[in-house]
Amino acid sequence: MPLSQDVLWYKDAIIYQVHVRTFYDSNGDGIGDFQGLEQKLGYLQDLGVNAIWLMPFFPSPLRDDGYDIADYNSVHSSYGTLEDFRKVLDSAHNRGIRIIIEMVLNHTSDQHPWFQESRSSTDNPRRDWYVWSNTDERYKGTRIIFLDTEKSNWAWDPISKAYYWHRFFSHQPDLNYDNPDVREQVWKVMSFWLEMGVDGFRLDAVPYLMEREGTNCENLPETHEVLKDFRRRLDEQFPGRMLLAEANQWPADLRPYFADGDEFHMAFHFPLMPRMFMGVKLEDRKPITEIMQQTPEIPSICQWSLFLRNHDELTLEMVTDMERDYMYDTYAENKTMRLNLGIRRRLAPLLDNDRRRIELMNGMLMSLPGTPIIYYGDEIGMGDNINLGDRNGVRTPMQWSGGWNAGFSTAEPDRLYAPLIQNPVYGYPAVNVLSQLGSEHSLLHWMQRIITVRASTAVFGRGSIEFLHPANHRILAYVRRLGNEAVLAVNNLSGAAQAVELDLKKYKGNILIEMSGKNIFPRVGEQPYLLTLGPYQFFWFRLRRI
Amino acid sequence: MAEDTFLTDDFVRQLINVGEVDILVGLPTHNNATTIGAVVQSIQSGILQWFPRERAVIINPDGGSRDGTPELVTGISIDDLRPVSNLHALRTLHSISTRYGSSPSRTVAFRTILAAAELLRAKACVVMSPESSSFEGEWISKLLRPIRHDSFDLVTPTYRRHKFEGLLVTNLLYPMIRALYGLRIREPYTREFGFSGRLGGEFLLQNVWDDATGGHGIELRFTLAAITGQQRICQSFLGQKDHVELRSADLVPALRETVGPMFSALESTFTAWSGVTASQPVPTSGPDHEALLDPMRVNRKRLREMFSTGVAELETVFHSILSPSTLAELQRIAGLEEADFNYPAELWVKTVYEFAVSYQKSVISRDHIIQALAPLFRGRVFTFLVENRNGSTEDLENNIEGLCLEFERWKPYLLQMWKSRE
Repeated sequence: MPLSQDVLWYKDAIIYQVHVRTFYDSNGDGIGDFQGLEQKLGYLQDLGVNAIWLMPFFPSPLRDDGYDIADYNSVHSSYGTLEDFRKVLDSAHNRGIRIIIEMVLNHTSDQHPWFQESRSSTDNPRRDWYVWSNTDERYKGTRIIFLDTEKSNWAWDPISKAYYWHRFFSHQPDLNYDNPDVREQVWKVMSFWLEMGVDGFRLDAVPYLMEREGTNCENLPETHEVLKDFRRRLDEQFPGRMLLAEANQWPADLRPYFADGDEFHMAFHFPLMPRMFMGVKLEDRKPITEIMQQTPEIPSICQWSLFLRNHDELTLEMVTDMERDYMYDTYAENKTMRLNLGIRRRLAPLLDNDRRRIELMNGMLMSLPGTPIIYYGDEIGMGDNINLGDRNGVRTPMQWSGGWNAGFSTAEPDRLYAPLIQNPVYGYPAVNVLSQLGSEHSLLHWMQRIITVRASTAVFGRGSIEFLHPANHRILAYVRRLGNEAVLAVNNLSGAAQAVELDLKKYKGNILIEMSGKNIFPRVGEQPYLLTLGPYQFFWFRLRRI
Repeated sequence: MAEDTFLTDDFVRQLINVGEVDILVGLPTHNNATTIGAVVQSIQSGILQWFPRERAVIINPDGGSRDGTPELVTGISIDDLRPVSNLHALRTLHSISTRYGSSPSRTVAFRTILAAAELLRAKACVVMSPESSSFEGEWISKLLRPIRHDSFDLVTPTYRRHKFEGLLVTNLLYPMIRALYGLRIREPYTREFGFSGRLGGEFLLQNVWDDATGGHGIELRFTLAAITGQQRICQSFLGQKDHVELRSADLVPALRETVGPMFSALESTFTAWSGVTASQPVPTSGPDHEALLDPMRVNRKRLREMFSTGVAELETVFHSILSPSTLAELQRIAGLEEADFNYPAELWVKTVYEFAVSYQKSVISRDHIIQALAPLFRGRVFTFLVENRNGSTEDLENNIEGLCLEFERWKPYLLQMWKSRE
C-alpha cells in the first residue's frame, strides 16, 4: 500500500503513539526494540492507523523515559541500530504508514556531550549553548512545571560553579536558542532524520525555547521566530513533511504556533482532552462546547491533534482550579493516582472499564475536528499500575496474548523493563490482543471498525464543524461539513437513555444514514428531529439529499 | 382510571431536557418583575458557590404574569450559549418556566414544583419567595445542606426581624402548632423552605389539592404533613428578613392561608396531636430567633377600636362559636378604656381553641369563622404590642414563651371540647 502523496496527509491520519521499548521484544532481552516493532506493523495496519508517533529512542540515561537525550543522531542500543530503524521506516512506508518521531528541542540530557563541554569551562566554545547564570534570581516570573520534584528552574552546577536553566528536571538543561550555533546544530539533527525519510516531528516542549526577563518565558515572539525558521527550511528542503507542536497551552495561546500556516502544521489541543472526561462525568456538554468556542480558527492547511490519553499524566494544567478539584475528586480519588498537575492513569481505568464510555470517548475523539492519536494499548483497554513511580504505570509492556510475558518477550519475567499488568481486571490473561482478535465484539474489533468508518470520508479530518445546541444538555451534537458532504454526530454523555430534539431545519429534505450499520433514518422535516439514544450511545449520520 | 394531567406538554418537554437533578429550586411568581431579577441572581450565585458540582434546575411556575417575569427567570440559565461572565460554572443550569393559568395560585404552583421534582428525581428542593429583597445566595445553602448532607426532610427558616413583624406566627401559629404537635418550629408557615425529594413525592400523592379549604395554605399543610409524618425536621437561621408592609385588609386572607388549614388539619391529624403533652425543640442551625428592637409606628388605637367594634357587631356569630364565659369576658374587655385594655394570654388561648372546635363542627360557614377571628386577633395584637413596647429581646422571647406555655397548659381544654363536640 503506497503512501498517500497528499501533502496534507496529516489531516486524514490516524496516529498511533508508541514507545519502541513497550511494544514488542524481538531478541528476548526484556526490552521492546525496532525489530519487534517491524514485526508488529501488520497489526497496526490492520487496526487502520496510517501514522506512528515514536517516542524518544535516542541514546539517553533514561532518567525521563528518553526525553533526556544524550545523542540526537543515533538509536539507543537497547532498541537496536540505526539500520533497524531504517527497516521500520521502509516497512511502515510500504504499508502506507508514516513515521513521526520525537524531537526534544528545548533541552538535552546533562550527559549530552554538548552540556559536558559547556559546563567544563566558561571559555569553552559551547559554553553559551546552554543558559548559565551566576544567580538564581533571573526569570522570576517563570512557573515551575514539575512541581512535585523541582523547587526552582535553576540548578547549581558544582563543576562550573554557576546556575543553569532548566524548565523540566534538573538533569535536563535547556539549550540556549539565542545562540545561532545552537539553532544551526538542531536543524542539522532534524535534517539527519528527514533525509533518512521520517515524515514528521513531534516537537517537544516548544513554548519554552527562549527566555526573556520580565516575562513568564513561555510563548515568546523570539521562540516563534526560531520555529518559523525551522519550518521554512523544512518546506524548502523536505516538502510534505510535518511538524507537530507539543505546547500545553490555552487555545488562544496555541493559535500563534500555527501563525499564517508557516510555523506548525499541527498542535495538540491540550485543553479539550480533560474537558471530554469532565463532560462525560458531569453528563453535560458544556465543558466541551465551551472550550471549542474558545478555540480559534486555524489556517486551512493546519490541524489540531486530539488525544484521550498519552504517555504522560492526564494534564490538568489547562483547567480552572474548580475544574481541577472536580477532576481529582472524580477521577483520582486515590491520591497516588495524582502526579504534578494531573492524573497518571490509562483510558480504561479512568472510565471504570465501562465499554460504553470507552466507545463514546473514542467516538468523540474520531469525530471532533482534528487528527486523533491512539495511545498504544488503549485499543484493547489496557490497564495501568499506579504502584509504579512517576508515569511508568501507563508505560507497561503491550499485552499481545495471555501467554508467557503477555507475548511481549521471551525473557525471564524479572528481566522485563517494567512489570506486566497482572491484576484480575486488566491483567494480560484478561486483556490482550490475541483473545480480542478472536472475538468479533471485542474492543479491538470495534476500534478497527470505527477507524474504518472514520476513514471512509475526509469530512472528519478536514471538514468544518457546527455545534447544535439542543435543550438537552446531555447531548453533544455537531455537523461536520466538507463540500457537499455533511455528517451529523450525536453523543449521549449520560449514563441514562435520552431523548433529544435537534434543530436540523438547515438540512430539511435530507435523509440520515447511520454510518456504522448504513441504516436509513427518517427524512429531516420542518419539525425538530427527534432522536433517542441509549446510555453513552453515539451516532454518526451521513446527511444525504436523495 | 388515568390520573389527571396538570403539566403542559411544553413543560414536560422542558423537563425531559433537564433530566435528573440533585437540586431543584422552586420559584413561584406572578408579576414580580421589580424584584425577581435580584432574587434569581442570588439563586444562581448560591447554586454556583455552594453546589457547583450538583445538577440543579430552577423551576418557575408562573400565574400569568404580564410584566415579563418568566423571561427574567429563564434568562439566568447557564448553558453553552449563555456562559456566566463573573462566575465560572461547571455545569449547565436550566431555568425553566411554565404558565399554569391566568391567575396566581400558590397551591397549583407548589403542586407543579412537586411534580417537577418527582419527574426529575430531585434529591433536595427549596422553594423561594420571588419578593424577598433581603434574599442572599447563602440561603440556598442553608436550606439545602441539611437535606443533602444530614438527611433532613424539611428545613424551615428562622429570621432576624423586627419584634412586631410576623405577629400571626408569634401569637397563633407557632404556639398552637407547638402545643398540638410538640415541636417548636418557629416558622411553620413560610415562603422559603427546603425539603427532601422523598417528602415532596409523598405529599404530592396526598389528597390535599382540591379539598374543602380551596387549597389554601399549602405551605402550612406541607409543614403539618412533615410533622405528622414524623419526618426529620430542622431549622436554619437565614438572616434578616425584609420588612413587609401589611394592610389591615391583608389579615383575613392571611388567616385563611394559615389558621384555616391548621384548624382543618385537626381532624385528620387527631391521633398525631391528641397524645402530645409537651413540646421539644427541633435541631437548629444558628439562633432560632433574633429580633430588631428599633421603634415602629403602629396604630394601636385603631386595633382596639376594630376589636371592640367586631365584638359588638359579631355578637350573634360569636354566640355560635364561643362558650358563654369566653364571650362574656371578651365583651367585658371590649368595654375597657384603651389605657386599661388587656387581652390576656389565657383568654386568647381559650378563644382560639374554641374557634378551632367550632371550625371543626362547622357551626356556621367555616370561612365566616375564620373572618370572625380577625377582630379578636387585632385585640390580642394590641395587648402584645403594649406588653412588649419597651422590652428587650429577652423580654420579648419570655413573653412569647409565656404564651406558648399557655397554649400547652390549656391543651386539655381543647381535647375535652374536641371529644365532646358531638
